Amino acid sequence: MQFHKYDVVIVGAGGAGMRAAIESGQQARTAVLTKLYPTRSHTGAAQGGMCAALANVEEDNWEWHTFDTVKGGDYLVDQDAAEIMAKEAIDAVLDLEKMGLPFNRTPEGKIDQRRFGGHTRNHGEAAVRRACYAADRTGHMILQTLYQNCIKHEVEFFNEFYVLDICLTETADGPVCTGAVALELATGEIHVFQAKAVVFATGGFGKVFKTTSNAHTLTGDGMAIVFRKGLPLEDMEFYQFHPTGLAGLGILLTEGARGEGGILRNDSGERFMERYAPTIKDLAPRDMVARAMATEVREGRGCGPHKDYVLLDLTHLGAEVLDAKLPDITEFSRTYLGIDPVEEPVPVYPTAHYAMGGIPTNIKGEVLRDAENVVPGLYAAGECACVSVHGANRLGTNSLLDINVFGRRAGIAAAEYAKAHDFVDLPEAPEVPVVAMVDKLNASTGGERVANIRTELQQTMDANASVYRTEDTLKQALHDVQALKERFDRVAIQDHGKRYNTDLLEAVELGFLLELAEVLVLGAINRKESRGGHAREDYTTRDDVNFLRHTMAYKQISDDDTTKKTGFGGLTADIRLDYKPVVITRYQPMERKY
Amino acid sequence: MRFTVRVWRQTGSEDAGRLVEYDVDDVSPDMSFLEMLDVLNERLTLRGEEPVAFDHDCREGICGMCGLTINGVAHGPRRATTTCQLHMREFTDGDTIVVEPWRAAPFPVVRDLVVDRGALDEVVRAGGYVSVSTGSAPEAHATPVARADADKAFESAACIGCGACVAACPNGSAMLFTAAKVTHLGRLPQGAPERDTRALDMLAAHDEAGFGGCTNTGECTAVCPKGIPLADIAQFNQDVLRASLRGAGGRPA
Repeated sequence: MQFHKYDVVIVGAGGAGMRAAIESGQQARTAVLTKLYPTRSHTGAAQGGMCAALANVEEDNWEWHTFDTVKGGDYLVDQDAAEIMAKEAIDAVLDLEKMGLPFNRTPEGKIDQRRFGGHTRNHGEAAVRRACYAADRTGHMILQTLYQNCIKHEVEFFNEFYVLDICLTETADGPVCTGAVALELATGEIHVFQAKAVVFATGGFGKVFKTTSNAHTLTGDGMAIVFRKGLPLEDMEFYQFHPTGLAGLGILLTEGARGEGGILRNDSGERFMERYAPTIKDLAPRDMVARAMATEVREGRGCGPHKDYVLLDLTHLGAEVLDAKLPDITEFSRTYLGIDPVEEPVPVYPTAHYAMGGIPTNIKGEVLRDAENVVPGLYAAGECACVSVHGANRLGTNSLLDINVFGRRAGIAAAEYAKAHDFVDLPEAPEVPVVAMVDKLNASTGGERVANIRTELQQTMDANASVYRTEDTLKQALHDVQALKERFDRVAIQDHGKRYNTDLLEAVELGFLLELAEVLVLGAINRKESRGGHAREDYTTRDDVNFLRHTMAYKQISDDDTTKKTGFGGLTADIRLDYKPVVITRYQPMERKY
Repeated sequence: MRFTVRVWRQTGSEDAGRLVEYDVDDVSPDMSFLEMLDVLNERLTLRGEEPVAFDHDCREGICGMCGLTINGVAHGPRRATTTCQLHMREFTDGDTIVVEPWRAAPFPVVRDLVVDRGALDEVVRAGGYVSVSTGSAPEAHATPVARADADKAFESAACIGCGACVAACPNGSAMLFTAAKVTHLGRLPQGAPERDTRALDMLAAHDEAGFGGCTNTGECTAVCPKGIPLADIAQFNQDVLRASLRGAGGRPA
């Protein structure tokens, strides 16, 4: 075992982690721990853009952006946080510009802006051009730019260090975060990092679903780690399905395609979004478009031999626009489906994309341990966190914005906290839970295999907990997930080596996924209404009287439970659901129409 | 489809390494090359053998993790794609396919097909950024950039740092990678103040890391999944020449 000591430890080197590191690294001794390499993170796959009311190409302002974010999130958004994000968006874009991000430009040399779903002029009058973009590689450009600046500020990276636990030290005022424990993938060695502040920026958990735009690595590690410590997860039942995944594959085609004028059509060639969102049609928020597509397919108006997808028509845009503004997705379609979007429409169907919920934080990025109190020294930002600026449904581009605004805030807050506080002692033998988990997996002789359990998990989640849900499907999913958790207890790995043991890695990741799938499903069963990305066929309307509140899910760890000491094992432990009020400032909930 | 794959196996940097032959059947033409390796690994695992280590993540050609030399060509036979975007339909049933890691002195083999590309980070560290302070109250105005410059910068910034250019180059040069970074930033007004020192420093770091010199063979651009043009290297050379003539002080080599 090796021991390290830093003022600030940041876990995850995607957009949020690196944006935090740039701030923290200038003020405090900072280490970034990443399961991958910084430039390989999934932020790089984000395509369409980052919204900010720059008003470069038409009238716009941050208040309209705030309203759109709140309405887009079906009023489950905390409005103070949304306002901060919309205001600071402008600086966030200019910061990136100064760091050298090559945004697309207008003929006058200003940052160009394009339309995106749910972003409107004057509270819903018409679509507005608000998304700043670098063709359909905006995320790649942000990731590279932030990495370059981290290097400039001499941030220390620990690449392929997989964080598996946080250290919480009990004090008279409750738990304080004092460090993190990581497995070095290259050697199999355990490393303990003592820190004054820890920032989690570990991304989402799209791999609970089969059809997903998420990369292999997105297994909800950070969320599951804090959950196993007895800390809450917020609004996990709200998962976004992006409308335009390549049919059958889930690979993403940016919403920017519709922002540039792309149209969704059913089997008769009808522009069906005109029926679902008469004003902004194909640029309605993602939850509405995904539901419309699913409805078209269900009612027999799907395309193809099995009538199981709809078409994204880009043919009228012409080769020049596709080449200049949407080169990657044009190539994706050619590469993966053999279809040239210049010539013919592209088969698309919703794909699991983004977790609106996550580790609850306040607007400084401090992690909450209940509806009111924070865990001193623990911060979270990006997709793993829930501020909540996305509420029940995230608007397109607001994720790249979220990582920049709240990554920056968490980095500043963590550094300031570290400067103002002394190191607190680590709990006794902080490495024990991780060692126990690794040893247990290594020692298991059970007959269950990781790949089989993962496949079955993804199948039941796709079938029972995706775009449309009912009590019956969700109960089926819960039953399946709990059965899989029991089987996971008997999971055995084949590779018992130390170096780059991907077999072990995948088993650990599967444990995290099972944990989070259960939280998602349980929250969804309990939320007997339809709101944003959570659509219940048995409760089709929004119920503000009973459900205008955030779900808070806690893992119940009883005192006599021997697994408490290790924090792991006991996967089938009960989950307690509680609530947190929504912050409402400017906008009273009203019916959501587009 | 059915293939004979000859895969480079190497347990670590001290091991000499060797090609090992495997038969893989039940391969669908729609599988990507990496999925074919997944199939192979699944069988190896079932037989109690060590699976083949290879890098991958997003499987949609943007993360830059995957990188295999397939039948002697970096990222395989299809142009302008990463290995994960290569499909088995590009091959003929019954083919023998040779799979090797990136070969270059600055990229030591970690295990099997995984190499350490940290040397590229060293090049970026030498100057591949724009020096700005953040965290303070930003100035409330934007920097106008001519569209042609922005478009050119974008083209160069498309580099995903996979290292195929190095693997393809007979000299093991990383000039295309370095030139892409230099050209991206040098084209933008934000990057202009450090243009001279950046070019000199990054070139020095490139040489120090052990990458070879460029002799304009153009193999790099031919395998580049993002189509970074050879013209970027010409631009880089021009920047280096200009900086040297102006006596710009790079860091001591």
